[in-house]
Amino acid sequence: MPSHALTAFALTLTVALPGAALAEWQPNRPVEFVAAAGPGGGTDTFARVVQSALSKNELLTTPIIVANKAGGSGAETFIYAKSNKGDPYKLYFGTQDAYVLPLANKLSYSLKDLTPVAALVFDPFILWVNPKASGIEDVKGFIAKAKEAPGQIKLGGAKAKEADETLMTLIERSTGTDLTYIPYKSGSEAAIQVAGGHITANVNNPSESVEQWKAGVQKPLCVFESERLADKTVIADGMSWNDVPTCVEAGINVPSFAQPRTVWAAADIPPEALAYYVELMTKAVATPEFKGYEERGAQIPRMLTGDAFKDFIKKHEASYAEMYKANGWLKAAE
Amino acid sequence: MDISRNTMEVATACATAAVGGIVCYGATQNGIGWNDGPEPGYFPFYIGCLIIVGSLVTIVQTVLRRTSVADIFIDGERLRTVVAFFLPIMALTLVSAWLGLYVGMALYTFYAMRVSAGFRTHTALFTAAIVVAVNFVIFEKIFMVPLLKGPILEYFGIY
Amino acid sequence: MGNFGQLMDGFAVALTTHHVMIMVMGVLLGLIVGVLPGLGAPNGVSLLLPLTFTMDPISAIILLTSMYWGALFGGSTTSILFNIPGEPSSVATTFDGYPMAKQGQAVRALTLAFTSAGLGALTGVIVITLLSSWVASFAMRFGAAEYFAVYFMAFASFIGMAGGSPFKTLVSMMLGFAAATVGIDTISGESRLTFEFDELIGGISFLIAVIGLFGLGELLLTMEEGLKFEGVKAKLDIRTIARTVAEVPRYWVTLVRSALIGCWMGITPGGPTAASFMSYALGRRFSRRGKYFGKGEPEGIVAPETADHSAGSCALLPMLALGIPGSATAAVMMGGLMIWGLSPGPMLFSTRPDFVWGLIASMYMGNIIAVVLVLATVPLFAFILRAPFTVVGPMITIVCVIGAYTVANHVFDIWLALAFGIVGYVFKKLDYPLAPFVLAMVLGDKAEDAFRQAMLTSDGSPAIFFSNPLVSTMMGLGILLLCLPLITAVFKGGLFGRAGDAGAQGRSA
Repeated sequence: MPSHALTAFALTLTVALPGAALAEWQPNRPVEFVAAAGPGGGTDTFARVVQSALSKNELLTTPIIVANKAGGSGAETFIYAKSNKGDPYKLYFGTQDAYVLPLANKLSYSLKDLTPVAALVFDPFILWVNPKASGIEDVKGFIAKAKEAPGQIKLGGAKAKEADETLMTLIERSTGTDLTYIPYKSGSEAAIQVAGGHITANVNNPSESVEQWKAGVQKPLCVFESERLADKTVIADGMSWNDVPTCVEAGINVPSFAQPRTVWAAADIPPEALAYYVELMTKAVATPEFKGYEERGAQIPRMLTGDAFKDFIKKHEASYAEMYKANGWLKAAE
Repeated sequence: MDISRNTMEVATACATAAVGGIVCYGATQNGIGWNDGPEPGYFPFYIGCLIIVGSLVTIVQTVLRRTSVADIFIDGERLRTVVAFFLPIMALTLVSAWLGLYVGMALYTFYAMRVSAGFRTHTALFTAAIVVAVNFVIFEKIFMVPLLKGPILEYFGIY
Repeated sequence: MGNFGQLMDGFAVALTTHHVMIMVMGVLLGLIVGVLPGLGAPNGVSLLLPLTFTMDPISAIILLTSMYWGALFGGSTTSILFNIPGEPSSVATTFDGYPMAKQGQAVRALTLAFTSAGLGALTGVIVITLLSSWVASFAMRFGAAEYFAVYFMAFASFIGMAGGSPFKTLVSMMLGFAAATVGIDTISGESRLTFEFDELIGGISFLIAVIGLFGLGELLLTMEEGLKFEGVKAKLDIRTIARTVAEVPRYWVTLVRSALIGCWMGITPGGPTAASFMSYALGRRFSRRGKYFGKGEPEGIVAPETADHSAGSCALLPMLALGIPGSATAAVMMGGLMIWGLSPGPMLFSTRPDFVWGLIASMYMGNIIAVVLVLATVPLFAFILRAPFTVVGPMITIVCVIGAYTVANHVFDIWLALAFGIVGYVFKKLDYPLAPFVLAMVLGDKAEDAFRQAMLTSDGSPAIFFSNPLVSTMMGLGILLLCLPLITAVFKGGLFGRAGDAGAQGRSA
């Protein structure tokens, strides 16, 4: 097939002359998006939204294949990245899990096996309760109840020893309370458990609980951000996301605990390919599809690329390592 | 070359008991206690124990049961048939891991058609080509599930 | 009847030529996906998802659900013809479907399966239509303890049914539990039984086990028995199909019982797989023809198929009404809903009634279309079975190998499937039942998670399993089901007495 031979030749040229072809790198075969979550999970939706934004707006004309590698809380995805070193036709979608997972578990990959591409958006965390079942209406009531009966407030979340449970330990420490964490497979499961009155609270992202809020079976108490969320559209009870107080305002001194939605490539991909993907992701974020996704999830539109992203990773990883150490979760401590 | 049923019963039960032992050992690394609810290794540990118990009882039952001593699990000829069927599948896996699934399935189909089924060479070649083509269209084109390509297809620019 | 009026509006939405065409296309694609093990419904739906980005949400969900029905039917096809369940929920169909096909009645078995599956699905949709609002609030009452009780009932109904040595059943079931344990533990976040192998950290996929134990294991057995594949006698006869369809109403007791179990398990978090197993087990115990189960008994096909499909339909309701997916496929569809800009949850029924009722109407249509289409494919499959085994065998092998690979794109999984193939072969020859292994593997980790979540909620007090009428009733029923066969066994002369004649029971499961 001569056309393939030609492309192969062109590809060799590109690799040989990186300087000359810096902006010219283009994928010439299907690109695989590997999501570090099962179908329907937060990261899966994230990857598929980017996929739809790119293909609908014809920003990427080669086919995009989304694959799920959720095993080992998503570690499978990054181990896969390690085995595809230098392959520029695969992108890996995750959260902070890419660098947090190796802290608590013995895994064969490390951050060195990944090339950071970008963090596209941040998901805030909110403290939710079921006002009817628990009788808790605000953060004061929550703290009072927690102090009254230590260990009796059950807080659900997605998975163990990850963002949700870490956040709970931060709440405990800053308020001097004792809560009990109950891990579920996903945040939506924890949402239903709160709505059904089986547990007291959860720390879901807005999108995981917003429907229950509208139905009156969950109520947001405070958001773990330094500033209130921007969206002023009324959602339920005459309240908008903007009316939810920050947790610092409300009395829980946990200033900022957002979850980045991150994109990675394998280590050692050609720098021009990295440049191409960074630009591609910047374009994707500007599409109406992605804007709609941000709005639905009340996400914080903060995109990080290049050195800013690398700095962020370093700091975020260090802060997680510190929290893990305090909780006795570091793998070395086992 | 005949393998008696009792031999096989005992061998299998030993194998399952060994698996049970591995499970128990693995569980001890997660903590097997009960601390306001089971620790991560609690259930796996007792599951491993139950596997061992079940296997041991099966061994005892086999040894005590005299009636079926003469039962044959598999005779030499049948064993050869089964092995002759299974070895090519292992070869298929080995080749696939090395040269990609399409090359693997082409070689395997050709072998199965030519040697096992006894078709003529060109019929076997034709079948192999059809099998590869059908799978390629279904997986790569219709459902866009990339199968393992391997260095040969990569060289020809098929990814 | 407000629901009825809305359903009629829904039909007006779903019954356009455009949508009917989409349904036919979806069902056909689903059939292909369902027939190939490893692809399966969740994969198929997620593969089609990109196609739907440019469609309007109603057409998109109709395409995806039609594909789902097609895949469910396709999964039963391979269960019956080759003993390879394309979907976890069609494992129970192999128990009687495959023996019947081996007796040369493949056409009858397929027709029975499809017809009863269609009836089951319709029952499920009717339940959704009539009870949607009640079901949504009922499902909210399920906490961890209730989840556990549902799984406990499924285990309890199954535990006494396997014939043969109770110790072999024990070993088989416990091996299934152990296999389900491998990987990262949900409750503690620790990795278990992985021994630091990267390949094991994602756990052992159920599909890999099934492809090996059932598919490859059966191939080896067939090989050993001298290259004969009894399916060859299947006669291609349209009248057989018609006669079999007419035969189905005779099993109305099984149909009703199975549909009830299916709807119950679909509404509660049990799901289609648990439903089909439980229905099979209870059918075996309570049907007058129960002793023929496992030898190609028609009711043994009707029971799991009806329950599987009624549960599969009902499981879509929690997804729409609560935003919790009842199955992996529903999870993918839910992802789709969010990408199309809809939010599944309690408000969807009031904000987008056209979408919800259009979807429900399309479920009626899609299932009817699916039944007609799959019945039309029966002669094709009967034709495949006429080919000599030396040709069909290698083809099935290739399908199994590719299937094992596509589950997670790991070559290691192919080796694992081969190992399971040998285990399946040896276990079948030595009369170890495989059904308990499969059931434990599917439900084991879910049951364990639910148990430990319940324990965390109650601070370690087992009283939580009897803390309200709902959970107490379910636990009570489960204990009753568990004790029933033990009591019978004691009366029949004790456990060891029965173990002696294990060999005579034949390969039943």
